[in-house]
Amino acid sequence: MSAQTGGAARFVGASVKRREDPRLLTGGGQFVDDVQLPGMLHAAFVRSPLASARIASIDTQAALAVPGVVAIFTGADDFPRLPPWWPSEANVPAQHPLAIEDVRFVGDPVAIVIAESRYIAEDACELVDVAYEARTPIVDYRAAGEEGAPVVHAELGTNLVAEMASPPDPALEAAFAGSDHVFKETIKSHRYAAVPMETRGFVASWNKAGGELTVHMAGQAPHVARAYFALSLGLPEHAVRVIQRDVGGGFGQKAFQARDDMAVLHAAMRIDRPLKWIEDRQENLTAATHSRHEQITIEVGVNNDGLLQAIRLDHVLDAGAYPAMPAEADPGLVAAWFPGPYKVPHFGFRNVQYYTNTTARGPYRGPWLIETTVRETMLDIVARGIGMDPAEVRRRNSIQAADQPYQLHSGIVFDRVSPAETLEQAVEMAHYAQFREEQAAARAEGRLLGIGIASYIEPTAFGGGRSMGIEAATIRIEPSGKVTCLMGLGSYGHSVETTMAQVVADELGVAFEDVTIVQGDTASAPVGGGNLGSRSAVIGGAVAGMSARKARAKILDLAGHLMEAAPDDLELVDGVVSVKGSPASSMALTEITQVAYNGADRLPEGMEPGIEETTRWSAPFVTHSNATHVCMCEVDRNTGLVKLLDYVVSEDCGVMINPMVVEGQISGGVVQGIGGALLEHIPYDADGNPLAVNFKDYLLPVADLIPEIRIGHIVTPSDTPGGHKGAGEGGTIGGVAATVNAVADALAPLGVTITEQPLSPSRLLALIEQASA
Amino acid sequence: MKPAAFDYVAPTSLDAALTALADGGYDAKPIAGGQSLVPLMAFRLAVFGQLVDLGRIEELQGVARDGDELVIGAATRQAAIAKDALVAEHAPVLAQATGWIGHQQIRNRGTIGGSICHADPAAEYPATAVALDATIDVASTRGRRSIPAAELFEAAYTTTLEPDEVAVAVRIPVRRPGEGTAIFEVARRPGDFALAGCVVRVATSGGAVIDARVLAFGVGGAPIRLAAAEAALAAGAGVGSQELTAALQADADGLTPPEDAQATSAYRHSIVVHVANTAIAEAIADSQ
Ligand SMILES: Cc1cc2nc3c(=O)[nH]c(=O)nc-3n(C[C@H](O)[C@H](O)[C@H](O)COP(=O)(O)OP(=O)(O)OC[C@H]3O[C@@H](n4cnc5c(N)ncnc54)[C@H](O)[C@@H]3O)c2cc1C
Repeated sequence: MSAQTGGAARFVGASVKRREDPRLLTGGGQFVDDVQLPGMLHAAFVRSPLASARIASIDTQAALAVPGVVAIFTGADDFPRLPPWWPSEANVPAQHPLAIEDVRFVGDPVAIVIAESRYIAEDACELVDVAYEARTPIVDYRAAGEEGAPVVHAELGTNLVAEMASPPDPALEAAFAGSDHVFKETIKSHRYAAVPMETRGFVASWNKAGGELTVHMAGQAPHVARAYFALSLGLPEHAVRVIQRDVGGGFGQKAFQARDDMAVLHAAMRIDRPLKWIEDRQENLTAATHSRHEQITIEVGVNNDGLLQAIRLDHVLDAGAYPAMPAEADPGLVAAWFPGPYKVPHFGFRNVQYYTNTTARGPYRGPWLIETTVRETMLDIVARGIGMDPAEVRRRNSIQAADQPYQLHSGIVFDRVSPAETLEQAVEMAHYAQFREEQAAARAEGRLLGIGIASYIEPTAFGGGRSMGIEAATIRIEPSGKVTCLMGLGSYGHSVETTMAQVVADELGVAFEDVTIVQGDTASAPVGGGNLGSRSAVIGGAVAGMSARKARAKILDLAGHLMEAAPDDLELVDGVVSVKGSPASSMALTEITQVAYNGADRLPEGMEPGIEETTRWSAPFVTHSNATHVCMCEVDRNTGLVKLLDYVVSEDCGVMINPMVVEGQISGGVVQGIGGALLEHIPYDADGNPLAVNFKDYLLPVADLIPEIRIGHIVTPSDTPGGHKGAGEGGTIGGVAATVNAVADALAPLGVTITEQPLSPSRLLALIEQASA
Repeated sequence: MKPAAFDYVAPTSLDAALTALADGGYDAKPIAGGQSLVPLMAFRLAVFGQLVDLGRIEELQGVARDGDELVIGAATRQAAIAKDALVAEHAPVLAQATGWIGHQQIRNRGTIGGSICHADPAAEYPATAVALDATIDVASTRGRRSIPAAELFEAAYTTTLEPDEVAVAVRIPVRRPGEGTAIFEVARRPGDFALAGCVVRVATSGGAVIDARVLAFGVGGAPIRLAAAEAALAAGAGVGSQELTAALQADADGLTPPEDAQATSAYRHSIVVHVANTAIAEAIADSQ
């Protein structure tokens, strides 16, 4: 890439150490809870203990009498309702920051208490006397569409959020009728959550005289948040400043603003002092979003030769009480991308989504990943059913290079993807054939070894002309000759201060150390889409590179003028401009910037002083990355505990800016996939109480449980400017399915079929015992 | 997740601590490592107006030998017990049990007295104390007494200590020749509380088991003796024998293990036999 633009590629492609790390690892990070403003007050919420109830009355008198309590706001204070996040055709209820007449899930914000300290605020919360009239909640989303089910939002008259289906297709029916086999299963995904290490948090200060609101926050997309705050609060956009310095993970949970977030900002505007709210872990597990609670009934028509003929899906989702995403998003992605890396001639789907009296569904790293979980676990069930090795079934159906561009039923086109290649690389890295031999020997001793494969093609970096697909970068060559790059991204820990600097350094021809990335502050950064949807490298990298090239062109123009050489004959390497082939004739970048900023009389005719270039770019509709995961495990017959033995990923995210960062993203993602498959779960009881709201009950994966994750790379450049493809979500997408398949393969000799997660020892031991009974 | 306001004293003498507790009545509470008490207070599941820190009282610290007993100060940190030479020699299963407690950071703070007085049904130390026939020395302004571990644990999180009493030391008979001990447990992640665990002590003579203590934890309110298995072992039933398996199954069927987000009751019931068998086999091997 850099070879065409001058300056030998030195940083892109290298595992440059993260420049964020010295700051973060020595406690120098600046997270939202580190922000201390003079006179700052603290907020805590009173939340509903009931899943469904009418609020008969709220008495705040005793709480207001606590010394140090400044204010208490409730639904009666009329914080305006939230504007819709995105246009949607679904049945959408009014969302108010604080519950007005009804509470609709355990954790529903009922009042916000403002006090001199969080301690005092929590003392006062206990004294806010809320009289509830309990109602029967609807907890099971599969029953939410039934006649007579309690309705979550009375104003809608139904629990139905939205329903979509492909048109009737006689060819699909014929394909099923003509298949040698038809397999059908209902595969369920359980409720769990993004669990960022840093919970949600705000420090908001309203300058009444100036009409300015400053919001420090733990978020993902500063400009998107600013626009939403302005709209919600009735302020002009420029009167809101969003600052997001270090953020301890978001994974989608911080990509949008929820009701309690807005309650904090409304409250901040009604008091005269800065206000801090740091969500605690119990709140995060109760009242921030939950994810992945859905099921798909899948039918697969397949012939004896293993070739897939037809697939039909019936997808049902639990939206919770106040879903964060527009109803069309996740089911639409599942329906459009489902066939993934395989050629499936006929496809049909239906999806339906219901409100329940539970915590909202929200996006979490690969929000649509049930398509991979269901497709890949079903392929293994099919493989066992027709007596073919799971790797071979995948091999026979894989989209090959020669098939591309390959158009799906949905119109989506796969091009420059390599599912056949990642499959072969992963299988080889896993020593698949050898493992099968070891497995056979172990089975003879009664031990349960398993190997599971999962492949997927992942849509990343959505473009299509909307905010998420547009990004800007401003490159400023400072008078000192150092480079500042201002970007609209909002890093939550995924290394953009490093990777973007690598791109800029190469494109300009300066040292990596001389480039600073400034992002996460709407006061300095150009408007951008933030960090979500695996977009940072593809879109951010592209604009950073484009602006760097513009700046470089100006540097060479000016240098050419000063050196009396043709700009085309010049090169910029390591911060020095020289005539190609005769390095003696050269000028340091600092000499050139001195002229640019302080020597207007020496500029060529018509050239503006300074060197500062901005590019704003709208990305193509979507960029596809792909991967194959292989997980190997042993299940303990006596305890049902799963020990992971080995884990392999072969991935293709196009041109890697920094392989170490890519591998970090993949490893972290895989661990979250494993966590989902084996451990993480927020069950509800029949009354709508969440049963895992602290880290004693909510089991995150820990390092001891994770084998080394070995990663191989196939590089098929995308057609975007840097050739990159998104790498943020894939690890998680494949992680669930590969783990489930490994466990299912281990238990296969017992004749057990796994259709439900998490694969807790209780579930697995019960399956083992049933099989041997 | 902030505790309600409380007063805090950190006396350097046991008498001062006992007086503070006596004066505070039900509103006062000793705090040792804080690894169980502080989370309870942060969740406001427990509210105390007066905390009496035991961490600065010399008398409650350290391990010593006193005749046929090891005497372990109640405020001795779990991490110190794990690497104590006297414990390794005379009560090795206590050191092994420590390895199953939480994580290093927790063991650096948590104390043996705190663990025993907290009486978590899934904790390792209470069952180990019972298996080793330990005695707990306690004190209050009213005087001192010693409670056999077997009589200390009433139910989950409930001991026979009075609110004004402080555990001063844990006395453990030193390991006798021919004795074998072991602990084994199953948890979902390293460091988690046990879903089911078992501590075993066998006495042997000429290689044959003549007496056994088999204590299960995590499967009921207090550490539970698996009496049928103990009897079968004392009667000569070997590991893997039908007699021992039947006895363990009978013991297991007498349990009503708890159910929570981590495991079902049926699961805990299912694994008890495997867990006990593993610990028994290791204890017998240890005695040889
Ligand atoms: C993440 C995590 C994992 C853990 N995992 C395990 C595990 O696997 N196994 C396990 O056994 N424990 C585990 N624990 C608990 C840990 O071992 C605690 O340290 C122990 O239960 C209590 O000891 P403490 O010294 O911290 O007591 P504290 O928390 O200070 O006190 C606990 C209770 O004991 C009382 N108390 C303390 N000392 C005395 C005394 N001398 N006399 C009278 N009363 C007293 C206190 O008043 C309080 O009621 C875990 C804790 C955490 C946070």
